[in-house]
Amino acid sequence: MVALEERLVTIESGGRGLHGVLHLPEDPAAGAFVFCHPFAEEKKCAHRTMVEAARAFAEAGWAALRFDLRGCGDSPGEFGECDLSGWGADLHSALDWLRGELSPRRAGLLGLRLGGALAARVAEERDDVDCLVLWEPIVDGERYIHENLRRSIIKAMMTRHEGGEDADGAAGQAHALGEGTVDFDGYQVPERMREQIAASNLLDQPRGFPGPVLVVNLSTSDSVAEPLRLLADCYPAGSAAAVRQEPVWQRIGVIDATPTTQLTVEWLQQMR
Amino acid sequence: MADDQLKQQLKEMIVERLFLDVEPAQIADDENLMENYDIDSVNLFEIVVGLEEHFEISFEDEDFSVDLFATVDSLAEYVERKRS
Repeated sequence: MVALEERLVTIESGGRGLHGVLHLPEDPAAGAFVFCHPFAEEKKCAHRTMVEAARAFAEAGWAALRFDLRGCGDSPGEFGECDLSGWGADLHSALDWLRGELSPRRAGLLGLRLGGALAARVAEERDDVDCLVLWEPIVDGERYIHENLRRSIIKAMMTRHEGGEDADGAAGQAHALGEGTVDFDGYQVPERMREQIAASNLLDQPRGFPGPVLVVNLSTSDSVAEPLRLLADCYPAGSAAAVRQEPVWQRIGVIDATPTTQLTVEWLQQMR
Repeated sequence: MADDQLKQQLKEMIVERLFLDVEPAQIADDENLMENYDIDSVNLFEIVVGLEEHFEISFEDEDFSVDLFATVDSLAEYVERKRS
């Protein structure tokens, strides 16, 4: 693997300086991508995958900008005070910054999980995004919230089983769902944020983004799950692919995401 | 007593969803899944989703207990109870 330039950058958005890393290809770029990370603990779990994907993009001639949304990672702001509108504004700022910095021939967005839902929305709000890559995007926000609450209940159950001191408290908190702030793996998710996420549904209308779209389903199956297949069908130039891959957003550790990255890079190469 | 076909389907689902490097038939009906396969909360969530998708049942919050997930036997009994 060739060592390529990786540069720390700061992106101004809403009066904040967001933390970012720009991965630059050796040759003039085929184009440039902004990566949009997943939500809360999923971001932490997927960090390594996003870094490796950015490097693979750069190797293939595509610049990649990874950055932390406000209140996330190394960017300023309180997570509990953020919302989807602010994160959408950050993604717009990152795209503006990338366009100003590199003047790429093509610009794309890659989003994972909730970052995929955000990327899908932002791509439709502007006319200078050329392609879109959605890795296991959150199609149904309400279901996503429900799943997160399920995880909280399961974790509380396991903690209780292992005799953890906070087991009862965690269980109580996990069950105190539907009102006020809830705890998602240690992230305080306020009601407004939860409502915004729950209201997000990518299948509720035809998608207006006209460029090529790749929807990737990471699972144990060789076929694309129905919601993601339907999502790809919502786009005029959408396609979907399944990759047998452990969920890179669920567990901190080394998960080899090469199959997903490889498939995506090959898809990009068709556009060069 | 849950039938063998259901238990085999459960084993296949568990092996597939947890990426276990074991043949489904090698899992004994009464062996402790959590201890023998290092099942943690992430794995348990996968099993819950798998049970709901493959066997068309729905978990209630009060259903969650470690004993339910202990063995293939206990999972099979749960699935049969929810279906009845």
